[in-house]
Amino acid sequence: MSGSLLLQSVILGVLLGGLYALLAAGLTLYFGIMRVVMIAHSAFLILAAYLAWWFNRETGLDPMLSLVVTVPVFFLAGFLMQRLLVSRLKPLTLTMMSVLLTFAIALIIEGALGFIFTGTQRRIQLPYAGDSLNVFGAQVPVVKLVAFVLAAFALLSLYLLLKYTRFGRALRATIQHPEAARLVGIDTDRTAGYGFGLGLATAAIGGTALSLDATIYPSLHWHWIGPLMAIIVVGGLGSIPGAAIAAMLLGISQSLLQLPLGATWAQTVFYVALFATLMFRPQGFFGGRLAQRF
Amino acid sequence: MASESKYLLELNDIEAGYGRAALVLRGLTVQVPPATVVCLVGPNGAGKSTVLKVASGMLAPRSGSIVVDGVDVTGTNSQHMLKHGLAHVLQGHSVFREMTVAENVLLGAFTIKDQKAIDERVAFVQNLFPIVGERWKQLAGLLSGGQQKQVEFARSLMVSPKVVLLDEPSMGLDPKTTAKVFEQVARMRDAGTAVLLVEQNARRALETADIGCVLDLGRVHISGPAPELLADPALGDLYLGGRPADSAHVGGSTAEPATKGR
Repeated sequence: MSGSLLLQSVILGVLLGGLYALLAAGLTLYFGIMRVVMIAHSAFLILAAYLAWWFNRETGLDPMLSLVVTVPVFFLAGFLMQRLLVSRLKPLTLTMMSVLLTFAIALIIEGALGFIFTGTQRRIQLPYAGDSLNVFGAQVPVVKLVAFVLAAFALLSLYLLLKYTRFGRALRATIQHPEAARLVGIDTDRTAGYGFGLGLATAAIGGTALSLDATIYPSLHWHWIGPLMAIIVVGGLGSIPGAAIAAMLLGISQSLLQLPLGATWAQTVFYVALFATLMFRPQGFFGGRLAQRF
Repeated sequence: MASESKYLLELNDIEAGYGRAALVLRGLTVQVPPATVVCLVGPNGAGKSTVLKVASGMLAPRSGSIVVDGVDVTGTNSQHMLKHGLAHVLQGHSVFREMTVAENVLLGAFTIKDQKAIDERVAFVQNLFPIVGERWKQLAGLLSGGQQKQVEFARSLMVSPKVVLLDEPSMGLDPKTTAKVFEQVARMRDAGTAVLLVEQNARRALETADIGCVLDLGRVHISGPAPELLADPALGDLYLGGRPADSAHVGGSTAEPATKGR
């Protein structure tokens, strides 16, 4: 194996890991806020990818411009989903029932996409789709780099929002101790709704980033939800930094394993990591005090 | 409309319970005067923590009234209770563990918009609880149990509450730390804040309190000046885990003698 091939795999792994990190951050946010297992997260991801593709086809403009509409719409959809559906579940069985509820939502989205856009595979043709950069002999596709920058920018924005804004502090307080959060005057119900909206907004950005360089079809979300679930368990349920670190490590591992094993077997790295985590450190490797409570 | 009242908090004839279960509080009446520590003691299941949940709006009473500084606030939720001047410190540890001490304390002022007022309160709580200032930038979850309790006290004082409701502040703490925590409760009182305290460690709590109320079966069984309750041998045997050898000397209060409750 040549050095440049190895370097290329590492770089591609980092680029893929960035996208995983953004998507897993959204997924772990739902769990952190309300112990909700959001199976439909990747379905919203594919929905956003379809909307970006459709926007590009209809207008001829760059698909990333669709974010101007999809981010606020997804945020609103997440808020309404939490307020009107998830918050109605009984606390005692919320986690289990959330699996069923969001599984149903995923099927509805998949069905709607198939109905509207048919099952035909779709792909955006970008003017820079074939361009690549040469980094010490490694060929790095520009489109993957753009997707990574978009995901990294979104993840950084999410971090800054959670860390330094009044809303971010309220959301973190709601995640860490809902009862105490209520007692300092935080409207935890509304905050949880906004948190859900934020999670879906990350799906909108992730889906758009994905659409730049992926062939999409309605059932593609099943291919994504497994690795994303594995990432948030490995990272520690409810921990956004944990999810980001695990996403990066597993993304790089997947990319490196593609060289000797091929794409199909390389995917199993997520499940091997999941099983190892559940056996040796069920609370996750990079945080996730919530998992112990769960 | 506010009316003249010598109490900052009055719980009048409260009946309350959880869901469809039987009543926990059955006609309970408690009054908290300004700058006073009122302590509720009693056996497990007497309804001590429920009193605080009702007072802070976490649990709506089925009947009775809640009056804060002359204003009837019955049926108000916890956010509004905070605005009326009631701050509640929960049982066990309730700091936001993965936030810094600074973030924890500043979240106490979540409902306050005036930055100058917030800065003044920060200075006030840092002065009252020096450990808060010393550990300002540390993660709250890394502090010891007693230090976390002080952060919770500081957080509750950020809104300049009229009454602080403290639920079992000594829970899970060793005797030395417990003594420190009760010192801080006394300091809160001395700084002008009234405290309604619920405590399993009854004898230690009554040593700090000005007024004691013994709860049994959801109502106040006996109330009076805390030193007199401590000195009452019958009460000591029944509710305070026996009477220590020197407790007969405790007393000398100028307050009224202990009275049988309703």
